[in-house]
Amino acid sequence: MAAWDEIGEALADYTVTCNSNERLRKMQRDWSRVLHFICSDTTDTFTMVVTSGEIVATTAGHDGVPDLVVTTDSETFCDMFWGDLNPVAKYLRGDIKVKGTQEDVMRLDAISYVIWPDS
Amino acid sequence: MSNATGEIQLRRSVGTATATATSAGLAFAAIDYLGVVSVMAYAPGSSGVLAIFFGGLLVLLVAAVFSELNGLYPTAAGIRIYLGRALGNRTALTVTFTYMTTVVLVIAADAFLIGAALRHVLHEPAPLAYLWIVVLLGVATAANLRGVVLAGWVQTIVTYVVLVSTVVISIIAIFHVGGAFNKPLNLFGTSSFSGIQAIAFALFLFAAFEWVTTTAEEARRPQVITRALFCAPILIWIASSLFLVALAHLVPFSHLHHSAYPQLLLGQAALGTLGEIWMLAITVLTALNTFNGGFLVASRFIYAAAREGNLPRGFARLNLAAVPWMAVSTLAIVSAVLAAVIFATGQWLLLVAVGATLEAGIYALASLSMLILRRVETRDRPFRVLAGTPLATAGFVIFTLLALATGLADPKASGHFSLAPIGVIALLAGTSALYVRFGLPRVRAAHAARQATSSPRRRPPRPAPVTSDKAPSDAALSNSGLSNVPVESESSVLGDPTVSPMEP
Repeated sequence: MAAWDEIGEALADYTVTCNSNERLRKMQRDWSRVLHFICSDTTDTFTMVVTSGEIVATTAGHDGVPDLVVTTDSETFCDMFWGDLNPVAKYLRGDIKVKGTQEDVMRLDAISYVIWPDS
Repeated sequence: MSNATGEIQLRRSVGTATATATSAGLAFAAIDYLGVVSVMAYAPGSSGVLAIFFGGLLVLLVAAVFSELNGLYPTAAGIRIYLGRALGNRTALTVTFTYMTTVVLVIAADAFLIGAALRHVLHEPAPLAYLWIVVLLGVATAANLRGVVLAGWVQTIVTYVVLVSTVVISIIAIFHVGGAFNKPLNLFGTSSFSGIQAIAFALFLFAAFEWVTTTAEEARRPQVITRALFCAPILIWIASSLFLVALAHLVPFSHLHHSAYPQLLLGQAALGTLGEIWMLAITVLTALNTFNGGFLVASRFIYAAAREGNLPRGFARLNLAAVPWMAVSTLAIVSAVLAAVIFATGQWLLLVAVGATLEAGIYALASLSMLILRRVETRDRPFRVLAGTPLATAGFVIFTLLALATGLADPKASGHFSLAPIGVIALLAGTSALYVRFGLPRVRAAHAARQATSSPRRRPPRPAPVTSDKAPSDAALSNSGLSNVPVESESSVLGDPTVSPMEP
């Protein structure tokens, strides 16, 4: 079970890595979404706002109406945001649950794939 | 944001009408018009309506099975998950790889059928049909590569226009003076086996309706998918039955059996050139759903399989529109080659037989999965089939028999056996099984080697046992000034990876 500050640290690193990746920013330039995350083991929640491919806000709790809701345990979130875990494998095993359109689900994975192609 | 029942509401979510249109749109392609003719080959005249009725009843059983399975695993990857949990990962992979070939078959068949219909109406020489096929596939591929996705509401309108037009022109044809209903109750007229085959081919008319379960994650509630699974077959049943009666009424079967465009013949017989052009427009419209849905479903499956390490990683490569370009291009090339083979051999009815056999086989496996998961999976089910165990057992037996009936049927001569359909499926399944047995271990080894040699684990180790895993209180968060505020820039607090944006 990951502590709250561990998730925050992972999320901060993820934000910097995403926002500084030119190819990713170009690929996601038409992608503006509100993402809600739920830690199934700790019930912690947080929100990520993406505007034109840039992560512009990461906040505790749930803000706004989501386009995508991702639920998994806190350890998986940490590993995912650090790029130590392939989200697709977890998703296909049913360990990561997502609510949203298939396009958005794929876009979310594409972020990990572009910044960590060997994950 | 949650509603009164505590369910999270998405900004964009799918309701029953859209889900039903998605289900019906995925199932009702141009090849369905040929499917109706295949039913008529085994159930003469209007008796085919009975075959479609019985096929529809069986499809309602399928809808119940998929509703329970979808409730268990409401995800786009559902089929992989429940087949994997019930039958093992290797079998699940072999089956899903084979199942995905039906998408290629349908894309190729639709490209061929639309090309043939366009050539027929424009009175062009036969080889130009292939030019139309290449143009259609080229446009569909280019649109997919650019990330163009048909909006949900467009897809919904297209589906309802196609279904309503088919119904309207069929009704006009039925009331057309001069035709005669043929053998209205002769379901088992040629032989008892023909009746079973007629029902098996009728199943094909509904094929792919269950793919709506891949939209489970965007449905407002799990019940939306269940409703769509039960409503869509009814719409298809009405349209197909009326179309069959109209064909039996107005067009001699000898004209239909060797035609790749029975819908144009019906349009011509009912309303002359206007009817023919109307049905051509409808045929082209079906391509929007087939190409949009088919390319998307199959390319995302290939992408996910490559990301998971089950296919060479090249298939996961994305272009700047975030589209897995190699997956889309491969689908287009294989479809074009397949369409060329159909064009050269004239074996379009073989595709119907292969598709019908594959679908019946998948329905049998889904029934078997439900039976197994009833014993081994304890999690809650939002939808539970009443008398599920005997019904799923019956479904497994019936769909296995129907798969064999179509797999051994000669698609061009009713009453004759042929090994061609089951041979094609054996080839596809054998190729998948060989890949999973011998090719996959190498792909996975390469995947693992890449991961091992790539950058080391990035997540910092925990310095000490965690003493508090509680989220900071709202007051603490707001006092910190670091949360619930926008990320200002990369050089702000987030620029320092040791500082959390939510750290109090």
